[in-house]
Amino acid sequence: MKTNLLAAASIAALVAMTGAASAVDIAPGKAMDMVLLPKFLGILPFDQAHQGAEEAAKELQNSKPLQFLGPTPENSVAGQIEITTNATTQGVAAIMISNNSGDQIVPSAKAAQAKGIKVVTWDSPIPSAEGEDVFVAQVDFTETGKVMADMAMGILGADGGKFAILSASPDAANQNAWIAAMKDALKDPKYAKLQLIDTVYGNDQSEASYNQANALVDKHPDMKLIMAPTSVGIVAAAKALQDGKLCDKIKVSGLGVPKEMVAYTMNGCAPQFALWSFVDLGYLSYYTAYGLASGAIKAEEGATFKAGRMGEYKITKDPTRAKGLRVLMGPFSIYDKKNVEAAAK
Amino acid sequence: MTILGRLKSWEGLLLGLLAVIVVMNILRSPYFLGAGNIANLFQLSIEKIIVALIMTLIIINGEIDLSVASIMGLAACVLAWLFQMGASLPIAIVGGLLAGLAAGLFNGFWVAYVGLPSLAVTLAGLIGFRGIARILVEDRAIGGFPVWFNTLGQQGILGPITASILIFAVLFAIVAIVLHGSALGRLVYVIGNNLQAARYSGVRVQSVKMTLFAASGLIAALAGILYAARLGSVRGDMATGFELDIITIVLLGGVSIFGGSGNLAGVGLSILVILNLRNGMGLANITGNTQTSVIGALLIFSVLAPNLAQNLQRRWIGRKT
Repeated sequence: MKTNLLAAASIAALVAMTGAASAVDIAPGKAMDMVLLPKFLGILPFDQAHQGAEEAAKELQNSKPLQFLGPTPENSVAGQIEITTNATTQGVAAIMISNNSGDQIVPSAKAAQAKGIKVVTWDSPIPSAEGEDVFVAQVDFTETGKVMADMAMGILGADGGKFAILSASPDAANQNAWIAAMKDALKDPKYAKLQLIDTVYGNDQSEASYNQANALVDKHPDMKLIMAPTSVGIVAAAKALQDGKLCDKIKVSGLGVPKEMVAYTMNGCAPQFALWSFVDLGYLSYYTAYGLASGAIKAEEGATFKAGRMGEYKITKDPTRAKGLRVLMGPFSIYDKKNVEAAAK
Repeated sequence: MTILGRLKSWEGLLLGLLAVIVVMNILRSPYFLGAGNIANLFQLSIEKIIVALIMTLIIINGEIDLSVASIMGLAACVLAWLFQMGASLPIAIVGGLLAGLAAGLFNGFWVAYVGLPSLAVTLAGLIGFRGIARILVEDRAIGGFPVWFNTLGQQGILGPITASILIFAVLFAIVAIVLHGSALGRLVYVIGNNLQAARYSGVRVQSVKMTLFAASGLIAALAGILYAARLGSVRGDMATGFELDIITIVLLGGVSIFGGSGNLAGVGLSILVILNLRNGMGLANITGNTQTSVIGALLIFSVLAPNLAQNLQRRWIGRKT
């Protein structure tokens, strides 16, 4: 028996066996219409999440095709509301939202719930948690603040320096939570030399983010780092600095996709950045939504379920939102010159 | 006009197009005909179609107002800013409406009394009013309005029919009466047809234009405030780009961009065509850029079609003689 266990290479299998008493197996084979709604279409992380969700859909043998629907970036807020409303009209079983609309999505999400639709948020939650069954959190949001502060320290060295944040949109709950968490982390004396001087928004659009990065450079001649906790912003900022031949004076860090960042990490513009797997996030979100919609699990504290290859997860209170529930995925991967090329493949 | 003549008209074409779209929607989606969906269909674009009503008058009058979307944003931002400064919401709403009226009067002054082209004046407004809106709200999202305000924008007051939809219906009736049944309406056509002739025959061109631009500012502000109520929060970039959607609705309705011709029935049909098409695609899970492209293609076709037809006809006649 012992050798058998050791032979089991996957940690997931181990976890699943030890927790078998309480964790619910989600029965496959139910045909349910499910909608995966990203902030908007056309950026890599959301396509990866889509890929993960499709993988889960296949495992759970849902004969109804997964609907991957999103607005255009410039119409994100109204578009997400429109898609949620239309999905409600169609009476789908579950909607998985990466919310870009703050609490503006609440009325349409509530209308969906009133019709018996399960609303699962992923990547970015509904701030008030109203209209939402559970949030699938990629990482612990408090942890994100520390990770960003650590990367800033790591890049700038013991002397620290001035840095600015280039965020996505002012309505993105995840961005705001991370920025707040970072500000909180900075209160720790070990980060005393780090000074946050500005926060700007590029709305997750490449050109706007590029321009905002350039504006930061002009506005703050003594700035040493741009921290962009968004996969669009970090690439745009790195490109802006590279185009301006400023990479030896100013560095970029934040959250980025290895595939898009590899060149900038290798040439020193963005020595270090972090991310989690969006494929896994899509996969776990689908399992959660499928489990809720099929009635296998309930959206309440303590509910435990098995999510295929990823192992066992538990629904807990969300420490960052008073009324929210969450499923915590984690952990972070930190990328630098040593591992970025392998991850980009 | 005979029935055949009516069918050949632009409105007839729109009616046919609408019938095709509606039938397709009914066949494709069992949910299309639900009362809730029909209300949603209007509700999800309600702000644009409200502004399209006043834009119809402006374009028939031979002018254009490119600043409407910026005025929508400005009114919402003034509202949010006042609210955040501690004003009560009713006062903030009045403030937003007044800001819109002021913006409209500003446009009207330069166009009607100074005689500058409205294209240039309202293009400046598009940039300027948006700038003020962004300065007021900066890079933030201001929300947390009282519950009644959000309810007003989001929930039905007569079954699924929201306050915004009622306002649209009332405005539609008012604009129809003004345009097709009042002296002011006749002047709007006369001026749009031939500005010089109107001037020489003693029409008070200036006051007509001033009235239209002021009304445009006020109605755009109202639409902006309804948009804020629907979304429950305000940002500086709210409604950006809406002016093009609004103008295309009016042009698809058969209103000539050169002024003087068109009617509200055409614009009403055009509104129904676009909303039903959008809704149908939404229910068929066609979203994002594909939706934009399909509507874009329809608009290109519908704007080019009448000109092409006319051109061909002229050539045909030319060959005969």
